[in-house]
Amino acid sequence: MKLHRLIAINLRFFYNLRRSYDRLSDVFYWPALDLFIWGLTSSFFVSIAPEFPNLIFSILAGQILWIFLWRGQYEISVNLLEDLWNRNLINIFVSPLKFSEWIAALVIHGILKAFISFLFAALFAFFLYKTNIFSFGFSMIPFMILLIMTGWTIGFFVAALILRYGTKVQTLAWTLGGLFGPFSAIYYPVSILPDWGRFIAAFVPSSYVFEGMREVINKGQLNTHLLLVSFILNLIYLILALFFLSRSFRKVLEKGLVKVY
Amino acid sequence: MIYMNILVVKNLTKKFKKFVAVDNISFSLREGEILGLLGPNGAGKTTTIQMLLGVLLPTSGEVRVFDKELHAHKEEILEKVNFSSTYTDLPWRLSVFENLHFLSYLYDIKNRKERIKKVSNIFRLEKLLSQPISELSSGQITRVNLAKAFLNFPKILFLDEPTASLDPDTAKYVRDFLLSERKNFNMSIVWTSHNMAEVEEVCDRVIFINKGRLIADDTPSKLAKTIEVSHVELNVSDGLKRTIEMCGKDSIHYRLEGRNIVVDLKEKEIPDFLKKLMDKGVYYTEISINKPSLEDYFLEVVKQKR
Repeated sequence: MKLHRLIAINLRFFYNLRRSYDRLSDVFYWPALDLFIWGLTSSFFVSIAPEFPNLIFSILAGQILWIFLWRGQYEISVNLLEDLWNRNLINIFVSPLKFSEWIAALVIHGILKAFISFLFAALFAFFLYKTNIFSFGFSMIPFMILLIMTGWTIGFFVAALILRYGTKVQTLAWTLGGLFGPFSAIYYPVSILPDWGRFIAAFVPSSYVFEGMREVINKGQLNTHLLLVSFILNLIYLILALFFLSRSFRKVLEKGLVKVY
Repeated sequence: MIYMNILVVKNLTKKFKKFVAVDNISFSLREGEILGLLGPNGAGKTTTIQMLLGVLLPTSGEVRVFDKELHAHKEEILEKVNFSSTYTDLPWRLSVFENLHFLSYLYDIKNRKERIKKVSNIFRLEKLLSQPISELSSGQITRVNLAKAFLNFPKILFLDEPTASLDPDTAKYVRDFLLSERKNFNMSIVWTSHNMAEVEEVCDRVIFINKGRLIADDTPSKLAKTIEVSHVELNVSDGLKRTIEMCGKDSIHYRLEGRNIVVDLKEKEIPDFLKKLMDKGVYYTEISINKPSLEDYFLEVVKQKR
């Protein structure tokens, strides 16, 4: 793995970020809008149910941490689409860049953008709602890692589908991550879900993270068991997604990169 | 100066399900050689180039570059190879400089800014460096693609219609530059084009592909010479009708262009034809005899194989 190639791909997407209002709004506008709406909503809930003072923090922390999953998957799938829309994939892969380096570059880019978005959202929540996400302390680190792992899994899966079926399935880049939202139990406990929903949530790694987050908020304890289950699920899914992605890339090389659109 | 083979293609085949896009072709490219890759649309040129660049897996056959198997040594080989094509674009939101900058990282170019300045000067892009690709004309984009292709000092360059969108002056400038690069650095080039005059001018050798098969591999002049028919163009001032009658009677193929008649004749038949015109009292004010060109070869082959 060569550092200069990882820098190259990241540079390409940072130049794009600088010049694209779409990508800028992904990083700043949407997180700010979500926080604004959810901050007001949770403030309203607390005003009618003052016995739940942690509600605002719980909802906003969920919203802010969700950024890691969202950005992790979005940067992989949308940046692949950027290169398809620009018919640039060939330019990239006739260079010495390896497929693994391309994946690594997208992952790094996702982490960098997630942190930019996260810091912006954390500051926004602090100034608007006096909510300090950093009060989680170091327990926030495994939450971030596990959520971004789930994001990569979804991102790789979507990227694999896009490589196989082209831009006709591009909507998955915006929609599939969202599908995990209800079963991740970002704002509410898993117990609220109906039976079938709880069954699905048991297989969703991010649901354990948000359950763990609420335990830290309500009980002040970090439940390592929940994190372990999430990690094992994440690891299995990530390996499967990477396998599927590399198979899809191989398929693309069999039909020609030019034909992927 | 021509040296060893730096690209060797052996029995290369590509099938898409039952369709055979490239059918068992073999050829080589020598160091310092400019090789024309010709054929009608859908002949298999792009498929072949993609396989030579490692972005399409062959069904069977072997590609060796710098005496190494392409897929086993892809990373090492592609550091010394580049290409410019009409079927790819560069990220259109990025400026010319930003595109060349990220690509210079991809190829690990030393003194990146200096190299970008150099290729920008060569392809007359200095004033366009800050402009996004989306604001450039197709000719300007072609020049950016060529600059990109030269960033990494390639030993082999694949050029797909490199002068297609350029004005005649810039096209000539680019051709001259490529010829000088070949001369100075012994660079090898695989050149596809539908501009046969251009191919005749720059290519040392031509391979011709039709329906996936390699049907010719020779110098442009030798391929042209396989066509026997010359075009004799006469500006007839008196006796056009008699000329047409004579062509009809002798089953000679002709076409009319105003007062001009273009007659297709074998070289040895021309003196006899002109004498017959004189005997019939036909007067012409201008005559030009166009010997067979690569374009004639192209047209003839495509007609035969259709």
